[in-house]
Amino acid sequence: MSAPPIYLDHAATTPVRAEVFDAMSPFFGPRFGNPSSAHRWGREARAALDEARERVAQCLGAAPDEVCFTSGGTESDNLAVLGAWRVLRTQGKRAVVTSPTEHKAVLVAAHQAAKEGAEERLLRIDATGRIDLAEASITLGTDTAVCSLMWVNNETGVVQPIAELAALAKAQGALFHTDAVQAFGKVEVDARAIPFDFASVSGHKVGAPKGIGAFYIRRGTPLEPLFFGGSQDRGRRPGTENVAAAVGLARAMELAVLEREAHWRTFEAMRDALQAALEAKVPGLVVHGGAAPRAPHILNVSVPGTDSESLLMALDLQGVAASSGSACQSGSITPSHVLSAMGVAPDLANAAIRMSFGALNGPDDVARVAELFPALVAKARGLAGVA
Amino acid sequence: MTRGRVLVAMSGGVDSSVAAALLVRQGYDAVGVTMKLFHDGGEIPDRPCCSLDSVNDARRVAESLGIPHYVLNLQDEFGHDVVADFVAEYAAGRTPIPCVRCNTFTKFRDLLAKADAIDARWIATGHYARLADGRLQRGRDDAKDQTYFLWGIDRGVLDRLILPVGDLTKTETRAVARELGLLTAEKPESQEICFVPDGDYVKVLERELPADAPALSPGPIVALDGTVLGTHDGFARYTIGQRRGLPGGRAEPLYVVALRPDDRAVVVGPREALLGRGLRAMTVRWLVDPAPVVGTTLHVRVRHRATPVAGTLLAVDGDAVEIALETPVHAIAPGQSAVFYDGDVVLGGGVIAAGRRTLPVRAA
Repeated sequence: MSAPPIYLDHAATTPVRAEVFDAMSPFFGPRFGNPSSAHRWGREARAALDEARERVAQCLGAAPDEVCFTSGGTESDNLAVLGAWRVLRTQGKRAVVTSPTEHKAVLVAAHQAAKEGAEERLLRIDATGRIDLAEASITLGTDTAVCSLMWVNNETGVVQPIAELAALAKAQGALFHTDAVQAFGKVEVDARAIPFDFASVSGHKVGAPKGIGAFYIRRGTPLEPLFFGGSQDRGRRPGTENVAAAVGLARAMELAVLEREAHWRTFEAMRDALQAALEAKVPGLVVHGGAAPRAPHILNVSVPGTDSESLLMALDLQGVAASSGSACQSGSITPSHVLSAMGVAPDLANAAIRMSFGALNGPDDVARVAELFPALVAKARGLAGVA
Repeated sequence: MTRGRVLVAMSGGVDSSVAAALLVRQGYDAVGVTMKLFHDGGEIPDRPCCSLDSVNDARRVAESLGIPHYVLNLQDEFGHDVVADFVAEYAAGRTPIPCVRCNTFTKFRDLLAKADAIDARWIATGHYARLADGRLQRGRDDAKDQTYFLWGIDRGVLDRLILPVGDLTKTETRAVARELGLLTAEKPESQEICFVPDGDYVKVLERELPADAPALSPGPIVALDGTVLGTHDGFARYTIGQRRGLPGGRAEPLYVVALRPDDRAVVVGPREALLGRGLRAMTVRWLVDPAPVVGTTLHVRVRHRATPVAGTLLAVDGDAVEIALETPVHAIAPGQSAVFYDGDVVLGGGVIAAGRRTLPVRAA
């Protein structure tokens, strides 16, 4: 195979950007200090960490004390759901509200809250993948401790009306968390504009390394920590801070904010071109979330009569990296809970292919995948030789 | 120049690791896959597909060989074709061999469909069996020969099948693995049924069958003459030929000679009562073309590793056959396989419907 490989899985992870790598490197070398130490090494590290926190805060329309560094999206989501529930359960709140299309980091955290006595409630998702706003305030009630909803869905790219949902939750007296892992860098995440109490951001989705994330906590919001130990991060996240990664995250987030609008246009043009080409060439192709507002970097399609596993193997063997949207640790594939919640039939959900655009892509990639995909589909449908 | 793409099923064990390594060495464009066949993390319902050590071993071997590796989720198919059948067979008083159905359906039908999707001309496994002149033959290592489990595959598959370790003995396979530095070289043999925990198949039945299932409920232990000798706590806990768990204190030990689901009876008798002089097999598949005709002499194996005994094909009725055995065989158990050989060549096989205690009358 002579053509260069094509990475269409930016929603899974992205490469560390050169600027980010450079920004981090001193902290793997001479500036290795522990920010809690009183000596000069410690002071140097502390200064870098404080500065990183300020810059991350800036990117989120937040104050520095409203930003906490975590290990990434999963920890941030857990901290929001469980941290809020565990405080508010003592104040008479009894429900944790999410939706069936949330990331497992939220859904399983909500299951954990349920084991601790919470009533787990799910908002209704319509066939386009959007939350039913009319029903939402009824489901929320006044007894909800925390409501957690993903801003941009990681499998379909569907954008939820987070401003409206946050307002609804606040009106019912609930704390509101949004998993903004796929949203950050695509939509404007501004704590001054939208009244969310918590927000999760993951570094490795935006060109920072894996293992670092930001967690926004609106000033004055109650929260019980997940970890116990030192007083780092005001006790909200004990443990020696990952200074290098925090500095890298700050740089990556700044770049993401600067490039946000240009990226939207570039990714949307590529995504729309690929979608149009596939719709034209592959009879019966279904675009998941296509009827809802979508972030520009995700295209999720199913071809009837195929299965994700076979197509993803075939694509990978041709150098194209995509995903089913719901891979797990062993690397095997199970039908997507997101698509199932949208009412997609199991056969079709089992055929889902998520292609997600990012910095590694250009228009040539679209052309090649538009060429390759229909041929591989024909084989996967058992029609080899027809294409 | 490549010899074409081959999909190689890698379980994470030494045999399939060496199979993959040999294919790479022979110049094939090998693609490794590990099938995820059942849910092994019972505690975590949201994650049915994670963290089998064997998957990781297979992945690391593939990585070291420089070939791609994928995990394929065939749990639904395996659950339906293999596990559900396994349970239904025990519930019907038979003794199934899930490995046969896994080969027939899961590996050489469902996995083959995956091979088609990635344009793989070939499919390979780490089975100890050989192919020569388009015919399936016993593996060179008699102690390891696995043809007993392979009779059910579609004859058309033989043309696409590569069995790289069939020409090796197990000792040689391990030697190749060591020579190649494969991390699975010293992995112990797995003899158990993969989805049966701790070799205790009753646990699977207890999990899958209702609590009041007849197969797991008390019933009589009956002698051949109809005398009730005692009770048992479920006929599915017994296998033809079994001695354990039967009333003792007799001059002559008793054996299970039949299971009778209709009245939940476990029928017991002396050792001679276990002798079969013929058998009826169903769902027979022939791996040679033309298929043997009535009157053909062949050799029959009624259990894994048993020495094949001479027999005659007495009658063919659709996909059922009647076989006469020249030497009586002990404990012919319905549900097990009867596999037919001509020397090393596997002619075909079927599922034993019944043993025959008296020699059937030969067709004229």
